[in-house]
Amino acid sequence: MKIVVCVKQVPEVTNVQVDPATGTLIREGVKSILNPFCEYALDHAVRLKQAFDNISISAITMGPPQARDVLLRCLELGADEGILVTDRKFAGADTWATALTLAEAIRTAVPDFDLILVGKQAIDGDTAQVGPEIAEILGLAQITYGVEVNLSSSRKQVRVTQEVERGYEVVEAALPALVTCSKGEVVRRAPSFKDVLQARKKLIRTIWADAIAIPEGQLGLQGSFTQVVKVFPPPAKKTNTILQNLEVEKAAQEIFSFLKEKRFL
Amino acid sequence: MHEINSRSAPSGDFSKVKCIEGFECIQAEYSAYLTDESKLSARPFDYLFFPKSEAELAAVMAELHRRNIPMTFAGARTGLVGGCVPQEGALISLEHLDQVQAVYRDPASAEWRVKAQTSVSLKNLDGMLRVKQFPGLEQNPDPVVAQGLRDFREDPNQYFYPPDPTEMSASLGGSVVTNASGARTYRYGPTRAWVRGIRVFLADGEYLDIPRGKYFASPGGQFVVWNTQGVASTITIPDYPQPRTKSATGFYAAPQMDLIDLFIGSEGTLGVVTSVDVALLKREEKVSIIQFLDSDEQAVQLAEAMRAESRLQLDFLEFYSGNALNLLRELQKVEPSTVGMPAIPDDARGAIFFEMSFDPHAEELEYAALEEVIASCGASLERSWAGYESRELDRFKVFRHMVPETINSILAERKKQYPGIHKLGTDMAVPDGHLQEMWQLYKSRCEELNLEWYAFGHIGNNHIHVNILPRNMDDLNNGMQLYAAFARKAVELGGSVSAEHGIGKIKSKFLQYMFTPGQIQQMRRVKEALDPKGILNPNDIFPAEVHP
Repeated sequence: MKIVVCVKQVPEVTNVQVDPATGTLIREGVKSILNPFCEYALDHAVRLKQAFDNISISAITMGPPQARDVLLRCLELGADEGILVTDRKFAGADTWATALTLAEAIRTAVPDFDLILVGKQAIDGDTAQVGPEIAEILGLAQITYGVEVNLSSSRKQVRVTQEVERGYEVVEAALPALVTCSKGEVVRRAPSFKDVLQARKKLIRTIWADAIAIPEGQLGLQGSFTQVVKVFPPPAKKTNTILQNLEVEKAAQEIFSFLKEKRFL
Repeated sequence: MHEINSRSAPSGDFSKVKCIEGFECIQAEYSAYLTDESKLSARPFDYLFFPKSEAELAAVMAELHRRNIPMTFAGARTGLVGGCVPQEGALISLEHLDQVQAVYRDPASAEWRVKAQTSVSLKNLDGMLRVKQFPGLEQNPDPVVAQGLRDFREDPNQYFYPPDPTEMSASLGGSVVTNASGARTYRYGPTRAWVRGIRVFLADGEYLDIPRGKYFASPGGQFVVWNTQGVASTITIPDYPQPRTKSATGFYAAPQMDLIDLFIGSEGTLGVVTSVDVALLKREEKVSIIQFLDSDEQAVQLAEAMRAESRLQLDFLEFYSGNALNLLRELQKVEPSTVGMPAIPDDARGAIFFEMSFDPHAEELEYAALEEVIASCGASLERSWAGYESRELDRFKVFRHMVPETINSILAERKKQYPGIHKLGTDMAVPDGHLQEMWQLYKSRCEELNLEWYAFGHIGNNHIHVNILPRNMDDLNNGMQLYAAFARKAVELGGSVSAEHGIGKIKSKFLQYMFTPGQIQQMRRVKEALDPKGILNPNDIFPAEVHP
């Protein structure tokens, strides 16, 4: 049985600063990590692998060559192979072009997949679109917001506990299917140093644009329906009022008046 | 050269220095200044000063010197032996001397250095070095300073300050006057090894600029300090040998020693350090590994084997006893996320924690030496945790602090029922070859007396912290006797009674275990030469009753 886990490399912190002059993110000194929701997806895949025989896990990412680092992390944590989908032609892809490329790369590299697990969203873009789009493109059943992922004993269905507004629902889908994951391990796994060493011996395949049966006009920026025109931080919230250099009595009077005016008193 | 001239600081106005007068007022509004991390309580004192510059500090010191008022100095108050907890006179907080003054490349040594005021915290320094941004230096009008900063930024490498004394909120100056050490002392030595210059204010408010490598004791073992009035003070260096371990016990002394080393580790009893120049080192990528083991004894055995393996270059080599792991397991049972790490394996009965260089992008990783030495002790790298991303290194570091932090919180609870009890934490180091013997003594004696105890710390330097947690006053008394026995044994083996915490006020009684009365007298004479009135950090290092 083959499980594909789609992963993304993201900046380590969510509060990256925006350069006010250019509107772009200031990336200096910011390290990259495996997107936490993708790590949840991988965690579910590893649990299934521990519970069932003959499961192999392929971790796939689309990104620049340095995105290889997140595949290494996946290999350390239990993935059996990594697939790096990289080409300058993929640059500037929006969620649709990304999903189209990833779906085709999965079809090419793991044509006999049974289950695709993805994080519900990436902590940098926060769109939560790529997973569902891949499912649509591949014509798969999809279950979103998964917090527990199990297989039926026949391995023909996936059973997912799904977060919904009022609690949880348990839903099943026939395989092949795609599940987006919103929770996983409580605490990030820590690979052993043996795992770290062995990860370097596992296969990482590279897939370039010419290996994918998609016309160039549908890749990267060219194939994107949306474009980022401007990036800017939300306007700062109104700052607090600070009373200083006042006599204690005067300051107390000011605070009293303020509370009275706002009807707190 | 063994003679040095002190200088007058630019004159500050004593009357303009912020000062809180009266113990009641200090108690009511400045209670944080009444203790440090040792939780020792201050005795009533009269003044709390906040000088904003060296000139103001000099004015305060000159005035208090004139009036014979004892002065205690406080940095970040993170010490563990009550060094900055006042017992009389005045407390002078150095917290406003907190600016980085320069980053520059020393042409002779080709090393990058930082010059900073005493109260820059180690954490802030590390943060500034990571992003190469130094608030305060940006607008410095001095073209030499501006050029140094530009050159530093243009250097493509990353740099760091190697001493890592666990408590990163500690001040740089505080770490110098206590010669702080920590886990990374294993590879990089204590703070002393990284100090290249200091400015130190003497009791009368005059100061010395002491670069490393300029002032050495005369063949007769003396230094002479001339003040601006033309009066000379002669310092005779004690003739005791240094222990063959890391040590923070008493004044450093060696034949023809560098004057700077006398002040490093002197706990502010000879002068107050206001500015330091420290060396930086190129930052490399690292991997942290926690190796789980079957027993404490296997951990001791593995630590010795790793140390003996010349192909391994470790940054640090730390220890968790089996009962310390149990302590963390209990926390994980209550709330799995508290510890910040996955469940500690059930079969782990001890662990070694170490860090080494690591290139995550290398095509092939060669760690045969590590695999061999671990296998030779009957262990396996499969029973380990490893991390190399910065967020992973951070959480491993937090995990390292978890044991002492948990112990402190347990004890804080227990003190509510028995206010008189306190933690008994050993800080002894012994020379190589005596680790097993010392460990056996610790463990067997704690178990014999049925005490609650945990062990962790710097096993690579034969410096395990054994923390005894008294459950009642009987435990406390038994623990104190045991502590004294451990200290005597460490000295008998050629070690140190205080390897890193210093002596301060809390451990002054242990000085006599390591030094003869004659040697302590030699130390007191050094103190008398530089501080004849005995007003600097009174009661630190020297027990009150024998204070000069």
